[in-house]
Amino acid sequence: MKLFLKIFLWFLAAVSLVVVVLIFVTRTFQTEPMVSRFERSTRNQLTVYGGTASQIVKAEGEDGLKTFLTRLKDLEPPRQVSLVSNDGKVFFGDPVEAPEVGELTTRTMSSGQVETDFSSEERTVGAAPVNFPDGRRMVLVFQWERQAPPSLFWGSTTAYTRLAGILLTGIVLCYLLALYLTSPIRKLREATNKLADGNLETRVIPSLGRRRDEIGDLARDFNIMAERIESLITSQQRLNRDISHELRSPLARLNVALEIAKQRSNPETMPIFQRIEGESNRLNEMISRLLTLSKLETGADDVDRVRLDFAELVRDVAADAEFEAQAKGKHVEVSSADSCPVIGSENLLRSAVENVLRNAVRYTPERTIVDVSLTKENGHAILKISDHGGGVPEEELPNLFRPFYRVGEARERKTGGTGLGLAIAERAVKAHKGTITARNYNGGLQVEIGINTAKKGDA
Amino acid sequence: MDKILIIDDDEELCELVSEYLTVEGFDISSVNDGASGLAAALTGDYDMVILDVMLPKMNGFDVLRNLREQSKLPVIMLTARGDDMERIVGLEIGADDYLPKPFNPRELAARLRAILRRTAVEEGDAEASEKLDIDGIQISPASRIATCDGRELNLTSVEFELLMELLKEAGKIVKKEDLSENVLERKLSPYDRSLDMHISNLRKKLGERADGTERIKTIRSVGYIYTLV
Repeated sequence: MKLFLKIFLWFLAAVSLVVVVLIFVTRTFQTEPMVSRFERSTRNQLTVYGGTASQIVKAEGEDGLKTFLTRLKDLEPPRQVSLVSNDGKVFFGDPVEAPEVGELTTRTMSSGQVETDFSSEERTVGAAPVNFPDGRRMVLVFQWERQAPPSLFWGSTTAYTRLAGILLTGIVLCYLLALYLTSPIRKLREATNKLADGNLETRVIPSLGRRRDEIGDLARDFNIMAERIESLITSQQRLNRDISHELRSPLARLNVALEIAKQRSNPETMPIFQRIEGESNRLNEMISRLLTLSKLETGADDVDRVRLDFAELVRDVAADAEFEAQAKGKHVEVSSADSCPVIGSENLLRSAVENVLRNAVRYTPERTIVDVSLTKENGHAILKISDHGGGVPEEELPNLFRPFYRVGEARERKTGGTGLGLAIAERAVKAHKGTITARNYNGGLQVEIGINTAKKGDA
Repeated sequence: MDKILIIDDDEELCELVSEYLTVEGFDISSVNDGASGLAAALTGDYDMVILDVMLPKMNGFDVLRNLREQSKLPVIMLTARGDDMERIVGLEIGADDYLPKPFNPRELAARLRAILRRTAVEEGDAEASEKLDIDGIQISPASRIATCDGRELNLTSVEFELLMELLKEAGKIVKKEDLSENVLERKLSPYDRSLDMHISNLRKKLGERADGTERIKTIRSVGYIYTLV
């Protein structure tokens, strides 16, 4: 899962949890005291009502009491009020029908105390004694509809709006926070990719470097690392150029001096001069291949890529190789060459194919054929080059692409390879995100190169 | 005797090359930096220049660029082996040929002779060759001037010869082997891309036709054809 999504969801989960906890907390720590306060005030109210009723009946008689009770009845919140005598007769108002009334009335009648019952969720029932001047005692029964304490986040439009507001703010904040945390990581990743692609001047943008947190530190460290890599690679490239120049200068002089010596040589010394020339050529070949290899490894030679038909390139190189092979009594045969449009550097691909093919021609015995087949298989150009040179031991196969790796010491030297051809081919193919593998096949070595073909519309 | 100027900062190499080429029948002088090399080349005392790319004071490309502003003196460039950019740039600025360093001196002598022979043919038999006027391209072998739709093409001697060969056989395929032998005066060898490079430069200088078709088409592994509409 993407880090952005992870952070976003985690923070969202945290915010939701906080809201849930908040609701729970308001319930327990806010509603409970409210309830007990409500019960206390109800009891007080009833005591006052009872006391007042007793005084009014004493001062103004039963008519005054009725007026008072009528006034009480019409007050908010809605209530039922009745005055019940000890024999169960209703003196005022309608009988209150709640089942707990009977028991309450009896208790109040005997104790002369205010009694309440909060057990029901819907109503509150209470009874207060009213003492008449003639010694009679009646019970004032109250029944209120219980009004649940308003919930913060539930049950009403305001509550829902509040809940939605909190959640929305949470979502927006989580989104911004996730963005704040992940966008610099994305930028860092882009920079890393560019650097890996050989864009050595890549640095992360300064705005990232100004952050004073761990990500800012990472960005600054990245820049330091990129600088170091750039300077290392630049100095490596400079070294390569210097090697190229410095090693080749004496070699160039050697070549000329050798030719002068040959001008003056006699038939007896000629073969040895020719031998020297051969070695000098090989030295030169190795230097240029080493340079090619190191250029490929540093990605410095990543020249412009174009759309080209791999088949044409293969046929071209095969024609050159056939020319060379014929001179040694061998043949190169292109058994199939499907048209394969690829995006790539013509030079690199050419050197990859050329190196593998020349290697095959070198090892295949006289009067045998090197088979070249290029096929297009679901989005890949598959090039197979097979010789009849006896192959190599299975366990040596993966090592074939290592520079200077020699399977059979004596054999390789005799056939005049530099030990770098397949290494160059591998690097060149890798530079195109392709694959190169070797296997023993039909009494020889088969090297397979796979490269993604270009889709329509690719540059 | 043909007078050759070597511009290379490797003094020892210059000495050796002088010694070798003197035996081969050339008259050699050498200069070791770009600026004095350019001055020497512009004196008009020389028939040909061998020019190294890496030079102190003024690099080979700048020398060539400055030289080409005033002179058509044939130039062979010595480039670093395996550096395609150097070859392409050298040929584009107007080198007649290039030789990767380290080179085989026999090859150098052969190329020198080929280019000198071509220049000699140009100067001597110029009147003998007829002017060509095909598909908007006029070639006058006498004055060594080629124009395309009235615009003068700044061709090197190799490009000039290649264009001549292709136009003479316009509409027909000219084999790579023949072009290599007739123009570069050497056998076509496998993996040698120099003919392709010269043709590609020539193509750039000619440009496409008004309708966007290429004038010179490549017939893969065979040769080239100057297409006629």
